[in-house]
Amino acid sequence: MKYLYILIALAIFSSCQEKPKEWTYKKTIKIEGVNPIGIANANGDLWLSDGDHNRLVQIDSLGKIINTIGELERPMHIDFDNQKLYIPEYGTDMIATYIVGSWELMKSKLKDSLDAPASIAVKEKEKAIADFYNNRILYADGNSEDWISFGSEGSKEGEFYYPTDVQITDSLIWVADAYNNRIQVFDKNGSFVKMIGEDQKMNAATGLFVSENEVFITDFEHNRVLVFDHQGLLKQELKEGIEKATDLLIKDDMLHIINYRNGELALYDLQEKKE
Amino acid sequence: MKKTIIVTLVIGILTVFSANAQKGMDKFMVQVDGLGCPFCAYGLEKKFKEFKGIKNVKIDIETGDFSFSYPAEKALTMNAVISQVEKAGYTPITSKIERANGKTENSEDGRVALNPEDLIEKEVFVYGNCEQCRARIENAAKRINGVGEASWSEDSKLLALSFDPGVISLESIELSVANSGHDTKTHKAKDKVYKKLPKCCQYERIEN
Repeated sequence: MKYLYILIALAIFSSCQEKPKEWTYKKTIKIEGVNPIGIANANGDLWLSDGDHNRLVQIDSLGKIINTIGELERPMHIDFDNQKLYIPEYGTDMIATYIVGSWELMKSKLKDSLDAPASIAVKEKEKAIADFYNNRILYADGNSEDWISFGSEGSKEGEFYYPTDVQITDSLIWVADAYNNRIQVFDKNGSFVKMIGEDQKMNAATGLFVSENEVFITDFEHNRVLVFDHQGLLKQELKEGIEKATDLLIKDDMLHIINYRNGELALYDLQEKKE
Repeated sequence: MKKTIIVTLVIGILTVFSANAQKGMDKFMVQVDGLGCPFCAYGLEKKFKEFKGIKNVKIDIETGDFSFSYPAEKALTMNAVISQVEKAGYTPITSKIERANGKTENSEDGRVALNPEDLIEKEVFVYGNCEQCRARIENAAKRINGVGEASWSEDSKLLALSFDPGVISLESIELSVANSGHDTKTHKAKDKVYKKLPKCCQYERIEN
């Protein structure tokens, strides 16, 4: 009788255990006339930077453009925080901010001059910028006006070869080190912490997204997205619906991947892993 | 009626003015090595904006074709353009200027004319990774006197050639391709040339 109870308990336990999940391709949405470089989630609305057409566009769930912000020069990887869209202007070395709903677009130049800002990340008071031609990252903790700068051209730890994307999490700064084909991770003093994906033979690691448990990177030339855990262990390689991808994010539990060349948005969701 | 005449006159003047403006522009066409993504293409454009008066900038990321117009009175030279492409971090492969006065300058001037009957076809294995590699490999072959066609496949890594063996040997073509940074079965690129390739083009080398 005792064994019977144990068996029943085991059966209940195993049925309650969550099965492992994986990202699964759902569909592709065409975004006519847009060559997206960056993507941001602004309170549930999707905004894309359209570098080829010098604008930002807001799209609906069918990929239709419902709002446009023009007068930008090569906007790249954008971010949203506290009602503001932050837009790095690659062509003018300026950072533009747009208060959503106000139609107010402001541009500012940093004292420390940039040369082709490719990405900006904002997390409450903190900001980070990927400074493409200067091969460095600028970071400000928001407690003062000062920015710290780290990195220089090269392929060693802490060096960059054209960084194109950056993201700030609670204790770390994550960088898409595009033409070193890897992700580099730093603490908030700019000290090197770890490297991810350097052994995956990527070819232009252009766009980065860090979720609570995973790190996603677009491998531009190989038409794929690699998914790692935070320790750098490769979990999954996504290929379906991906062509010349430049950026990605998770919104409403769906992974949104933008394809630059064909103007597409590929959607993945988490499904139970097939045996 | 009066209004129509004025509008017609204004349009006419503007058309003549615009045509003259276009006439006063030199057109530059450069094929650039190393453009892989929009970040590179916009970067090249950014560096050329330092040339005040530049117009009609067009860049094709896939082919590396870069063109623009520039006021003829500024007499921009081919060397200045090449130097600016290099300053932006890329390598010019071929270049052509159509001057506003009708003259043409071409980096490929001086090539011998080929007789189709003299051409033979061969394939050689060339190491490379991507579309940029393809452009570089094909251009390295095509710019040689005596070569008619050159087409490299990213999948098979084979470079299909048609050339006149009386003008150039297969070995010389392979050597020229290797000098562009891409190993063949018989000729290895110099290490420093290989290391100068864009990171995305640095194919896995087979150590001998």
